[in-house]
Amino acid sequence: MKNRTKLPNVYLGVLLFLMYVPIFLVILYSFNESKLSSVWSGFSLKWYTELFRDRAIFEALGNTLILGVISSLSAGVIGTLGAFGMTKVNFKTKSAVEYVSTLPIMIPEIILGMVFMAFFSLLGLPFGMTTLILAHTAFCIPYVYMLVKARLVGMDKSLAEAALDLGASPLRVFFDITLPLLLPAIVSGMLLAFAMSIDDVIISVFVTGVNTNTLPLKIYTQLKTGVTPKINALCTLMFAATLLLCGFAAFLGRTPKHKKQEPESGRAGR
Amino acid sequence: MKRNKMISLVLSAVLLLAVLAGCGEAESSSKGGEVSSAVQTEDTSLKGSTLNLFTWEGMFPQEVLDGFTEETGVKINYVNFDFDETMLAKLEAAGGGDYDLVIADDYIIETAISEDLVQKLDPSKLSNYKSINPVYQGQFFDPEDEYTVPYGAGVQTIVYDPSLVDLEITGYADLWDKSLEDSVGIIASSRVIDGMALKVLGESYNTEDISKIEAAGQKLLELAPNIRLIKDDNTQDDLLSGEISAAVMYTSQVTMAKMQNPELKVVFPKEGIGFGIMAQFIPSNAPNAEAAYLFMDYILRPEISAKCYEFLGYYCTNKDADALISEEYREFLTLPEDFKAEKMEMIENISAEALEAHEKVWTAFKSACE
Amino acid sequence: MSGNREKKKRRLRGEALTVLPLYVFTLLFVLGPIVYMIVLSFLTRAETWGVLPEFTLQNYKNIAEPVYLETFWESIKLALTSTVLVILIGYPFGYFMAKLTAKWKKRTMMLLMIPFWTSSLIRLYGWIIIFRAGGILDKLLMALHVTEKSVKILYTYPAVVVGMVYALLPFMIFAVYSSAEKLDFSLVEAARDLGASPMKAFLTVSLKLTLPGLLSGVVLTFVPSMGLFFIADILGGNKVVLVGNLIQEQLMKTHNWPFAAALSVALLALTSLFMFLYRKLSGVKDLEGLV
Repeated sequence: MKNRTKLPNVYLGVLLFLMYVPIFLVILYSFNESKLSSVWSGFSLKWYTELFRDRAIFEALGNTLILGVISSLSAGVIGTLGAFGMTKVNFKTKSAVEYVSTLPIMIPEIILGMVFMAFFSLLGLPFGMTTLILAHTAFCIPYVYMLVKARLVGMDKSLAEAALDLGASPLRVFFDITLPLLLPAIVSGMLLAFAMSIDDVIISVFVTGVNTNTLPLKIYTQLKTGVTPKINALCTLMFAATLLLCGFAAFLGRTPKHKKQEPESGRAGR
Repeated sequence: MKRNKMISLVLSAVLLLAVLAGCGEAESSSKGGEVSSAVQTEDTSLKGSTLNLFTWEGMFPQEVLDGFTEETGVKINYVNFDFDETMLAKLEAAGGGDYDLVIADDYIIETAISEDLVQKLDPSKLSNYKSINPVYQGQFFDPEDEYTVPYGAGVQTIVYDPSLVDLEITGYADLWDKSLEDSVGIIASSRVIDGMALKVLGESYNTEDISKIEAAGQKLLELAPNIRLIKDDNTQDDLLSGEISAAVMYTSQVTMAKMQNPELKVVFPKEGIGFGIMAQFIPSNAPNAEAAYLFMDYILRPEISAKCYEFLGYYCTNKDADALISEEYREFLTLPEDFKAEKMEMIENISAEALEAHEKVWTAFKSACE
Repeated sequence: MSGNREKKKRRLRGEALTVLPLYVFTLLFVLGPIVYMIVLSFLTRAETWGVLPEFTLQNYKNIAEPVYLETFWESIKLALTSTVLVILIGYPFGYFMAKLTAKWKKRTMMLLMIPFWTSSLIRLYGWIIIFRAGGILDKLLMALHVTEKSVKILYTYPAVVVGMVYALLPFMIFAVYSSAEKLDFSLVEAARDLGASPMKAFLTVSLKLTLPGLLSGVVLTFVPSMGLFFIADILGGNKVVLVGNLIQEQLMKTHNWPFAAALSVALLALTSLFMFLYRKLSGVKDLEGLV
């Protein structure tokens, strides 16, 4: 009854598979003996040994993760609070600020990177992690903001209002009722923001400092001199690490979840 | 509410002021240039310090960098940029500081010098200074050799796969041949490609005559149907995979392509050859200029140089290293003997007006290729 | 009574506090750079490098050159093409995803996200492996006897479109998903039980309720696609010239920063206009302020 047809699931499966095809190829070619990706000259692990010899890459990886976590977290907090608060307050500047806050995704990255650089230089900020975090947070906020906002629109407000009428403090209502309802949007917004941050090249090129190389920058500059399978090997490792992490998270979240949730499986989040 | 408005007003006013102040800064910042590197104390004090080396990726083999650290105790922080212009913008934003040694292209160095972002070199600190091949010295960007030491040079050449091309290519004009439809790859630089058309028309790369640049643009539009790709990086891969059958490429790419497929033909275009030099300089406020000298001197040692150029694939600018370069690389890393200097021309900075004309012509050409 | 008002006042103050971080951050670190950009667009370029503090409108006049106007048209065309394709592919995905069980929602979300945590540049190179002469696609087509010769798809317009759609798809999916996920599917069932055709049930109930998500999805895909230049570079062999590419050239090759800034302002105005029109045309009232 509920699943009239399996077709939707087939669609999801096929599309997901297609999304992975380029990645599988990248992984495959990380084991290629030849330096050129146009020739397959046999299986080899030499690019992995070469990768592990490159300490700078691992330093860059660390920077990237720190940057991604901090900026997606700050974007998550600022964006969620902002989107929520905007539905409540009635400032005249509201729509203007809202518009401006989404501008970073409406302006080509390259010019944004340049003006960020010029602006930070004006403010006298030393280039490094601080400038990177500021710039990344700026372009991460819109993702969280817009997804949270999309969910807030038309969300059932009666529950929160009822709780308020019954005397619950606004803070409590926010944390106990609104936040859980917004969670799917916050999570997808932050995941997107994180993905954008750990992948950003163009803006980072301009605002990075001497000691804060990031992984995408490293990859980008290396690609300029030639696509060596070393980069493929790096991506394979990143991919494997993400898989492991996700698997681990799923494993951890498994046991308690079964008991707590989903008596009616179809719409746990409502 | 009102306060909010006030705050935003004040903020934007402050910002505007700051912006305007920043524009005026361009002139006032020119004092930086004179700051000399007063640190004269010898090597030992450098141990444990860091050299911030700012250049493209892939300019040195890892063993050379490691060898330097091992010998001197100076750690190398290898920082990369993508374009020359990014380098200059960042160097400017850092006020000529942060970075100790920069390697970049000739024309941008000329600009950097005029912006007072480069400090004068003291050749007495470079014991191997005499090894520099004088052919690569005294060029337009540093006519008195006061600021730079060359590190590699290159030309733009045509490379083609004779098994896929029916005609014998001898110069740029042959790329216009109808048989090459949708199979030519070119460098993604307006100056190089517009310049190629200028050369076909018998002009100079550096002409500032707008009508000549526009004529070159017209000529280029006829080339458009033959163009398969326009890019700076890894064009050799496309030539090797058969995606394209002829390409205009940089020396390092030619080296890589020929090493992989010796059958490829390399042509020094008969119309003239575009020539470029990469060079090292120390920024005006480099925090560790002494380490920069140490490094420059280190890579000028012939045996180290040879390793570097074999890795880099560009022409060797160290005359004492020429003999040490292994046989298989030699023909690619040294200028051919029948090479006529009068055929060569460097791409120099030209007037803003001419540059804009180039850009317009170039955009029209690229759009026409699709 | 008065206690109630007092409480309400406190609540309002509390709510004002929630937008404070957004206000401060936006005004300082977004408005600041953007004001800088706008000011820059009215200044004069210096002969070799940098900017002179002299007011001019020349940069905006330059945009009217046919060569440069064409890049705007080219960008709009590509952005529209990719956005339509992204909607067609991504909307059903987000919608179906919202119908999955909680466990599968999570898994799908993860599976969707993982590719995007590896470098986008590298993923583009994955497409090169597929598209290039003698690549996977060629081999596949030849094995199926669809074609005898190489199809030469790399460095063409379709390759760029594929790259764009691939890069932008997750934004649409996430946006649609997060609004479809709160959709009460029993409403759809009810409509069907009352005799509505599946199409009608979808149009009157589902689509209407997921429109906010679709709309933010459009914003998240259309808008960035106007400024992307990487994909056109790498998969299009630089032959598709978009505004993003032009801005990059102006910054990196011609050192004409004021012109690059003016192009960006024009692009910004254009995207804002599109968003405005889109909002008006779609007639969704309660979306006011969504961009």
